[in-house]
Order: sequence, then C-alpha cells, then structure tokens
Amino acid sequence: MNVQVTGPKIYFTFDIFGLEIPFTETMRNMLIVSAFILIVCLWLASGLKKVPKGKQVFAEWLVKYFYNMVEDTMGRHNLHFTPYIGTLFMFSIVGSLSSMVTLKPYTSNLSVTLTFALMTTVMVWFRSIKTNGVGGWLKSFVDPVPVILPLNIISEVANPVSMAFRHFGNIAAGTIITSLIYGALASLSNMVLGWIPNDFIANIPIFQLGLPAVLSLYFDLFSSYLQAFIICTLTMVYVGGAGPEGD
Amino acid sequence: MEELLILATSETQGFVSIDVWTMIFTLGNLLILFLVLKKFFFEKIRKVMLDRENEVQAMYDDASKSQEEGLRLKEEYEVKLSEANAESEDIVRNAVRKAQLKEEEIIKDAHAQASAIMKHAETQIELEKKNAVNEIKNDISGMAVDIAAKVIERDINAEDHSALIDEFIDNMGDES
Repeated sequence: MNVQVTGPKIYFTFDIFGLEIPFTETMRNMLIVSAFILIVCLWLASGLKKVPKGKQVFAEWLVKYFYNMVEDTMGRHNLHFTPYIGTLFMFSIVGSLSSMVTLKPYTSNLSVTLTFALMTTVMVWFRSIKTNGVGGWLKSFVDPVPVILPLNIISEVANPVSMAFRHFGNIAAGTIITSLIYGALASLSNMVLGWIPNDFIANIPIFQLGLPAVLSLYFDLFSSYLQAFIICTLTMVYVGGAGPEGD
Repeated sequence: MEELLILATSETQGFVSIDVWTMIFTLGNLLILFLVLKKFFFEKIRKVMLDRENEVQAMYDDASKSQEEGLRLKEEYEVKLSEANAESEDIVRNAVRKAQLKEEEIIKDAHAQASAIMKHAETQIELEKKNAVNEIKNDISGMAVDIAAKVIERDINAEDHSALIDEFIDNMGDES
C-alpha cells in the first residue's frame, strides 16, 4: 500500500531581492481554476439578450441564486456584497471540485482557506468601524462588561481560525480518505487476483471500479458544495451582523 | 510502505502549513477574480435582469392604464350613444308632430277652398239660371210676339207691347 499525503509541491522558487518566493502546485492549480472560472463566466455573460435563451438562462439562474442567497441571509440593503460572495463561492467550489480532474484542490491548502477567513474578518472589522466608528468598534470588545474582553478577543480570533480549518479540513480529509480508499481497494484487488500467475491480470484493480465513484459523490461533489456554502454563509452572517440593520 | 509527509521537505510544503506567499497569491487572485466578475458577470447580468423586470413592469402598467382608458372611453361612448338615441327619437317625434299639424292645416285649407269653390259654383249656377230664365223669357216673348204677329198678321211693335208681354210671362212664370 502506497499512500502519499504531502503538501503542495514546490515547482521552482523566484529569487527577488533576496526573497525566496516559491511557485507551488497550489498556485498553479489556482491559476488554472481562476482562468477556467473567468473564461466560463465571461462566456456566460457574453451576448446578453433581453429575452434569455440557452446559456443566458443558466447565467441568470446562477446570478439570481447568489443574489437570493445574499438577500435571504444579509437582507436587501446588503445586496452589493453579492459579487464578492458569488466569487468566493465559485472560487471555493470549483477549486474543491478540481480534484475530479486530478488537480490537487487548492482548498486543501490551509493558507488558502485562511486567506478566505481573514478576508471575512477584515470585512467584518471594516464594516464594524464604518458603522460604529473606531471607538464603537473597540467598545464592542468590552461589551457588556469589561471582564468579557479576553473572551471577545478569543472569539474574534476563533472565528477565522475555525472557518479556515473547517474548509481546509473537510477538503483535505476528503482527498486523503479518497486516496486511502483507492490504496485499500488496490490492495484488496491484489489479494483477490494476486494468485493468478499472469502479472497483467493480477494487477487489475477491479475493486477500484464503481465504489470510489459513489464515495466521490460525497467527498468531492457534496463536500465541495457544502464547504463553499458554509464559508459563504458564515461570511454573510458575520459581515451582515457587523453592519447596520436593514429596513 | 506507508508514506505520510506532513512536514515540509525541499520539494513540498507542509501538509498543514501557513505560507505567506500562498496567502498573498490567493488574496491577489481572489481580488482580481472578484473585480473582473463583479463588473463583467454579476453586475452585467444583474443589470439585464433588472432592466427586463422594469420593462415588464412598465408594460403591465401601460396595459392596465390603457385598459382603464378603454373602459372609460367605452362608458363615455355608451352615454353619448344613448344621448344620441334620445335626440334622434326627439327629432323624429317633432317631425311627426309637425307633419301632422301641417296635414291638418292642409286638409282644413282644402276644405275651405272646396267650400269656397262650391259657393262660387252655386252663385254661378244661380246666375246662369237667372240668365237662362231671362233668355228664355226673352225668347218666349219674341216667340209670343212672332206668334201674335202671325196671328194678327201685323207686326206688333215690340217696344210698345213689351210691357204687356212681360206681364204675361211673369204671370206664366208664377204659375209654373
């Protein structure tokens, strides 16, 4: 059984002003996926007609889906957050699903999900300061009693950390479990067929057929959608909660 | 042979590691993607949808407005039509009444004229009758003179004896 669980490969390293900047598998996959998202979205948004037809129906459904999601969670007055939420959602789900075309999903890299989470935190802080002023924002840490200050600071840190680890953990675990299952099934196939003297037949991984597809339905499709949905929902809830109430 | 590379090596990063460069790269990637998609995907498509929504709303508003207008016009025309009906009935009634008056007048006139003509005719007849009687009287008196002349074989002077003859005829006329 040969199962490798490694971090992203480093392809090469830039050396700029003494800084060693690595170009990793994560970055490469991110570029590929971003280009894919860009091309698909720009194609979907091209040649828009007043009466939707073909791809425009799907594009409008998609855009409406995000706007409805933001309106349901954050309220009508926060609809201008939709482009960010939608981008985050697509960036997350397509990144996770890229494992299906054998790319190592960049969402299984903690640095990436932590960036998502920190973006949310920064947006929350920014919005909070914009709404209540710096004083009001700082005061919210000692609200309702100053004793609670350490707890508030912990929760402020815990939110992004839990968001980052949840997303990273689910996708990374999915890939690990999938590769473990593949390894296990290969061993099982080998045990069943190993007695056949023919090397070619003995190495046919018969059990790798079918079962991984079913599991992949959960670990790739469902989990990817769920994690993208969760990180977007949490972002919407935190950012929406930091802003003023709607009418 | 198990190989679990959790820690970083020279060729790979750690499985659970935080790499600042990756974070910066992710941030830049996400922001660029966000800005492009915001302008050329979300807001573009959203605008088309809102435009269409507004247009449909405007069309519905227009339609209901013209329907109201139509109903209003219909009512107006119905009122006008019934007014016109009443007016035409009035006109016909008036015309009939006038015609009847005229008819009566004409008949009355005709009656009057007819009776005048009758009267005239009667007087004419009376006159003619008188003339005829006078003529006959003259004829008879002539005849009488002739007869008398024949009888007495001498010509009686008509003027001398006309008084005698008139008296004779008058008596004859009274007796007849």
